[in-house]
Amino acid sequence: MDTPRQGLPLFTAIGLLVGTLVIIQLWLLAAGIDALLSGHPQVLIPAAAASIVIFLINGGLLLHALNFDHRVRTRRPND
Amino acid sequence: MMERKEEEQVVVPRWREDFPIAWERDHYITRREFAKFLTLGSALLAGMSISVAVIGRWFFRPRFEGPSVLIAKASAIPAGGSLLFRYPTDDDPCILVRDRDGELRAYSQVCTHLSCAVIHRPESNSLFCPCHHGWFDAASGIPTGGPPTRRLPRIRLRVAGDDIFAEGGDV
Repeated sequence: MDTPRQGLPLFTAIGLLVGTLVIIQLWLLAAGIDALLSGHPQVLIPAAAASIVIFLINGGLLLHALNFDHRVRTRRPND
Repeated sequence: MMERKEEEQVVVPRWREDFPIAWERDHYITRREFAKFLTLGSALLAGMSISVAVIGRWFFRPRFEGPSVLIAKASAIPAGGSLLFRYPTDDDPCILVRDRDGELRAYSQVCTHLSCAVIHRPESNSLFCPCHHGWFDAASGIPTGGPPTRRLPRIRLRVAGDDIFAEGGDV
């Protein structure tokens, strides 16, 4: 059962995970630009695909956290 | 009573006058807002990666075409020698090198690290950037030491008799 006490560690953990994944996305972008300027464009499509997958993971984590928040806030006191 | 009230009102520390910052009015973001902000940043980074991939796949040209320009006489460059020229414009310094086997190769003279001019080191068949001690292989232009990570752009050459022509290049 979801309780408000679970919210703090949940949002902290999701914030840390999403932050780590965003840093990986930044690295992918920097590596992609470097590969483009080096004349190796064959790595750009995999880098973009990985970045999209990471964004989908981030979006899923955020939706999960917001759904949890919604469930906790709309729960009746005697549930 | 009135005097005491006035005294209470006057007690304001001096540092408050120097640093008039009201912490209670500061705007703190919640963890929810932070997670939303990071996810928005994630979407922007994914979009930028897609843009870079589209540019690399459909718009980026690894070769550039340039005019055919006579740059030197082959007999003027001994084995292990080098010659500076400018191609395709006067603002693009390049270097022509002949290794010990007699092969001619030409590269942009602009270091791919921070744009200093590279010089030829025939004893190691390398191109050396004196600014930050970057090294490139003179046979391929690939970085072999120091800060540079990208190879030197190569200038394509055509040798006709004793004449050496520059004809475009590879990024």
